[in-house]
Amino acid sequence: MKAAAGCALSGRRVLEIADETGVYCGKLMADMGADVIKVERPGGDATRRIPPFLHDRPGTDRSLFFLYMNTNKRSVSLDMEQQAGRSLLHRLVRSVDIVIETLPPGRLDELGAGFESMRAERPDLVVTSITGFGQIGPHASWRSNDLVAGAMGGAMYVTGEADDPPVNMASAQNHLMASTTAASSSLIALLHAGRTGVGQQVDISVQETTLAVSHITGVGRWLEDGLIPRRVGTALTASTPSGAYPCRDGQIYLMVNRPAHWKALAKWIHEETGNEEVLLPIFEGPSSNRQEYRELIDLFISDMTKEHSVEEIFHEGQRRHIAFTPLNSTEQAARGDHLQSRGYFIEVDHPATGPIHYPSAPYRFERTPWSIRRPAPRVGEHNEEVYLGELGLDADELASLRESGVV
Amino acid sequence: MRLDEQALAGVRVVEFTQGMAGPWIGRLMAWCGAEVIRVESHKVPGVVRLYVPPRSPELGVQPALSPWFTDWDAGKLFVALDLKRPEGVDLAKQLTERADIVVENHRYGAMAKLGLGADVLTAVKPDLIFLSSSAFGESGPHPQYVTWGPNIEAMSGLAALSGFPERDCAMTQYAYPDALSALHGLFAILCALDHRERTGEGQRISLSQLETTVAMIGPAMMQQLTGTTPPRLGNGSLHQAPHGCYRCLGDDSWCVVAASDDAMWQRLCEVIERPDQAAKAHLCDVAGRLAHTFEIDEAIEAWTCQRPAQEAMERLQAAGVTAGAVQNAEDQFQLDTHLAQRGYFETIPHLVKGEVVACGIALGLTATPGRTSRTGAAVGEDNEHVFRDLIGLSADAYADAVQSGAIEIGGPG
Repeated sequence: MKAAAGCALSGRRVLEIADETGVYCGKLMADMGADVIKVERPGGDATRRIPPFLHDRPGTDRSLFFLYMNTNKRSVSLDMEQQAGRSLLHRLVRSVDIVIETLPPGRLDELGAGFESMRAERPDLVVTSITGFGQIGPHASWRSNDLVAGAMGGAMYVTGEADDPPVNMASAQNHLMASTTAASSSLIALLHAGRTGVGQQVDISVQETTLAVSHITGVGRWLEDGLIPRRVGTALTASTPSGAYPCRDGQIYLMVNRPAHWKALAKWIHEETGNEEVLLPIFEGPSSNRQEYRELIDLFISDMTKEHSVEEIFHEGQRRHIAFTPLNSTEQAARGDHLQSRGYFIEVDHPATGPIHYPSAPYRFERTPWSIRRPAPRVGEHNEEVYLGELGLDADELASLRESGVV
Repeated sequence: MRLDEQALAGVRVVEFTQGMAGPWIGRLMAWCGAEVIRVESHKVPGVVRLYVPPRSPELGVQPALSPWFTDWDAGKLFVALDLKRPEGVDLAKQLTERADIVVENHRYGAMAKLGLGADVLTAVKPDLIFLSSSAFGESGPHPQYVTWGPNIEAMSGLAALSGFPERDCAMTQYAYPDALSALHGLFAILCALDHRERTGEGQRISLSQLETTVAMIGPAMMQQLTGTTPPRLGNGSLHQAPHGCYRCLGDDSWCVVAASDDAMWQRLCEVIERPDQAAKAHLCDVAGRLAHTFEIDEAIEAWTCQRPAQEAMERLQAAGVTAGAVQNAEDQFQLDTHLAQRGYFETIPHLVKGEVVACGIALGLTATPGRTSRTGAAVGEDNEHVFRDLIGLSADAYADAVQSGAIEIGGPG
């Protein structure tokens, strides 16, 4: 394949053997120009069956999850259960810089294509493994999913209303953070391999990446203060005031964590509602000074916000340098003038779906832009160009692999 | 492993940062052996430093004691500059000249106003990698608006998509967009570094924290853009049942349980001793279970509520059923033998407290495992080392810069 010209990761080759746990890792790299080859089982990857589907109609190329997570990747199919499939896998692994895999710990080595098995042939190979609990430790073989990661990783305990059960954030955030961490670790390992010739296995545990991402409410604070953070709705324990407040036509989110922001807010509340109490010096200073008055302060704020629209509080609050922002539905977020004016949503054409809209880049690069060069692949769409053109199989070999169901 | 053998040894990063979205990038790079210099000012203390110890509030604000400061800033060098003074700006440029990477996450336009905008810094160091992380990026109707992580979560649609159907939303308590922006920022920098290693070219990168967060609900947003609003599912799933969080024995004690296929559902019924459920034809396939979640959830909770969460989890996992205790901070540290055996938490020396336990860094690099060389220190702690040894200021020039107030010393912590 021609390298993706002008991209940061042009010429970098990645093999992805990943379920929903690690599929975003490959997307991050592919969207920055890496050649990511996705290995699917002959009937198509199980992630093609993850809802939602386009217009709620299931189909191999209609999972919005799959379409989103696999932009810019190429797909080859192979059956790892058959010996011929394993030898193909081995040749694929030998041809790449990085392997991203989410198989049960040890499985890739059993197949003869893990970091240890490849060491002699490819000492500079980076194998990035992403699993629920990592490669070693007493829980390494335990079953996991995004919900378990949210639970064991400390995120759920502190999320939701005090009287409700803990709740896991939507859209598999734990898997996404594991994948994002894995993408960085892979590049760090690649840089190191480039300088020293020494590759390595990257051992990503989704539980640990969730612990790291949610550490504000983790052990550091508890060991320091003896306080176990609990669920408090939309507020942050560490910032008073904070949380969602009612407006005439929706809710507005407020975050105050500097003394100057509190002063500006108190002044505004006083001007709007005539409240004198809000100006008392006991409320001033760092957030912790206000903590015991949280409920009272929340009332002061709602008395003002409920008289106005979300837009009024948003813009007037911002004019006063107070961090008020709308609490948007997905529909409001999609329609918002900011994302619209920056052309954030882009159209991606796909032979099976026609053009549909996608969120685009998290970041904008001056020289090597994020880009969509091709839509998510169909099952085994690139078998011929990869197996014949790049691995050097001949047409007869491929035909016999097809016949035996390996490909 | 020595710090100079770590994967990012030899890489120098200068940070003009605040909060967490910027600083956490430097923390992760420092862990991997990069030399990270954080520029602060006594005049605008970082929010993380506005910490009053709850056990001794009489001490007032203790900038060097904040546990969050350890989590986000350990391993760095700390200098204090007054960037409102031209001599301070000049020193910041001298730092940049010697840097590979600059990270900033001040409000849009703030760096340019100080005379340290992207144009200036990339002119000072042409192959610089310059990451600017802000709420909105560098355009749009109001790029200068003030936000913190939770504001972004509320704006992005993630909050409204999360939570139980009967609620308005659910929000994290850990300023999630800060962490996810930091992780994406780190990845972006590494892409640019890989490009620079091969071409010698540096570049500017602008990260929008809002756009990064919207990318985290990509499939749901795609559905929204076809005109269908995605539903709020709580702990439920569109393609698996059971898939939920169940009450266990004890105060605020919970265990999550899921069955990814029909065989796992059968194993689950065995563990909870409900052959009657296992035998029900209408629960044998996922479509049937999705249509009868109430019935299933009741059967599971009748079992979980009679035992502690850890026991429920262990018995289910032993039978090959996906399950996990909902762990709070204490559980993570005291009950989770797996984390302990993996050495996830790191004990590091602290200048004031002797030693502290830091949240682990989950990069998982096995050959270059990374470590924290020191905890966060006071503002300006490393002024002399950085400006004398690294920049090469003479004793007189250093004294002058201190005298003029460009280099800040002393002050509250």
